[in-house]
Amino acid sequence: MAEIRFHRAGLAVEVRGLHLRLGDTAVLRGVDLHVPRGAIVALIGPNGSGKTTLLRCLLGLEKPDSGEIRLLGEPVGPKVLQRVAYVPQRLQLDRNFVLSVREFLCLRLKSARRWMWQGHRQTDDLLRAALADVGIEALFDRPLAGLSGGQLQRVLIAFSLLTGPELLLLDEPTAGVDNPGERSFYELITAIHQRLKLTVVLVSHDLSMVYRHATRVYALNGVVCCEGTPEEVMNADSLRQAYGIHVTPYHHDHPPGHHHVH
Amino acid sequence: MFTEAYMQRALIVALLLGPLCGLIGVFVTARRMAFFSDTISHAALAGIAVGFWLGFSDPTLPMTLVSLGVAVLMLWLKERTELLTDTIMALLLSGSVAFGIVVMSLLKGFRGELDRYLFGDILSVGPTDVALAGVVTFVVGGWVLWNLNALALITAHEDLAHVSGIPVRALNYAFVLILTVVVALSIRLLGIILVTSLLVIPPAAARNLARNLRQELVGAVAAGAIGGFGGVAASFLFNLPCGPSIVLVCVTLFLTTLAARQQRRTPFLRPRVP
Repeated sequence: MAEIRFHRAGLAVEVRGLHLRLGDTAVLRGVDLHVPRGAIVALIGPNGSGKTTLLRCLLGLEKPDSGEIRLLGEPVGPKVLQRVAYVPQRLQLDRNFVLSVREFLCLRLKSARRWMWQGHRQTDDLLRAALADVGIEALFDRPLAGLSGGQLQRVLIAFSLLTGPELLLLDEPTAGVDNPGERSFYELITAIHQRLKLTVVLVSHDLSMVYRHATRVYALNGVVCCEGTPEEVMNADSLRQAYGIHVTPYHHDHPPGHHHVH
Repeated sequence: MFTEAYMQRALIVALLLGPLCGLIGVFVTARRMAFFSDTISHAALAGIAVGFWLGFSDPTLPMTLVSLGVAVLMLWLKERTELLTDTIMALLLSGSVAFGIVVMSLLKGFRGELDRYLFGDILSVGPTDVALAGVVTFVVGGWVLWNLNALALITAHEDLAHVSGIPVRALNYAFVLILTVVVALSIRLLGIILVTSLLVIPPAAARNLARNLRQELVGAVAAGAIGGFGGVAASFLFNLPCGPSIVLVCVTLFLTTLAARQQRRTPFLRPRVP
């Protein structure tokens, strides 16, 4: 009965009592996370706070020492991961690897196994539409290794959306992207979220973007220090808990809601 | 040239293994595994020495087994120890070579064999090698083509491949296994010292002209075939050692495609950053 009560319906991500040591460091020390379906959740926290490690646990890339994780109501495994998409920080592409954008997108489609031999009209139409959705249709035949950070992130988004996921996990997706590029990237994520009604969990450093685009924020520092709406979490006390004692959100002459940590 | 039985065998093996090395080489170079394959090939020398020591007349089996053992040891050390990857490879490479040479110098009458395995020899290709090369090309080539999507995605991003449901670890081990077998077989023609070049140069030549992975794969297979066939033919016609001949044909191909690339105004030199 307890189990049934715990697995509440309508949660996209459910994490309970997650512990993980990496080497000598206890990176996660009892993390609890409840992400409702349809939310845009941001995980924030200082370097080494376990944000990326938590995301890696959700994806089955790290095996926690103890605790329980459920995605879309199921334990982490190949079956549920078919309904999950992941956008990494960046590709580890060697400059020498001449994979084109079209070929890269084909790797996501099981039906496009024969991409080597023929350009399939239907597949190409599908891939062009996916690229148009993220505003980069012109890059269709370009080699992946020659793209800018911002373009590559959009290709990764298009890649992740090809299979119609219900849950999108992004790991610091705008690391290495310039400021205007970052803003338009988050606007794209918000637009996709509204159009496809999926759940988004993203790890981010940029508090101003989180403030503007997230519906719920978790501040992490080995444990969840505080959680709530961006307005609730981004006050001095909460941030101090997560980032340490000398931290205050500092308001510049920026557009409303623009926060920095100093 | 084509009437001699040993030449027919050498040409067939070159036409089988050249394209296969080109195909695998695309992933070897993209994943920066050239030094890894160099270590495997040098480990073969220890295998050859052990083979002769144990009385094998044909050292293919001990050579392949020792190379496999070293490859597995290399992966194990990489996963389980704090040693740097380059350190592990340099240790195993120089250790195997030293061991092989010491054992062979202790055995009487094998000094002449050493050259043949270091630089390759068309005369050393026996009927068993032809059969083995045929089977390996068919099986390994088929495996690579069947797993092309997975291999390409693993090369682009291992975590992304894992989340996409690809058994990354198993495929990585399988790739190392097939790389070892292909390297060990190619040693007959190319020799221990030069065998890695057939994995590196044909893909590099193809990349000079390729605009996507499909073109690179097709180009690397073609360049491997031309390099293998041309090298064996040159070795016969001009009485040259086989391995260096193959490498020189491949290098010529690379320079030709490089010139063509310059013509297309896709410069080879990186632009200077002011």
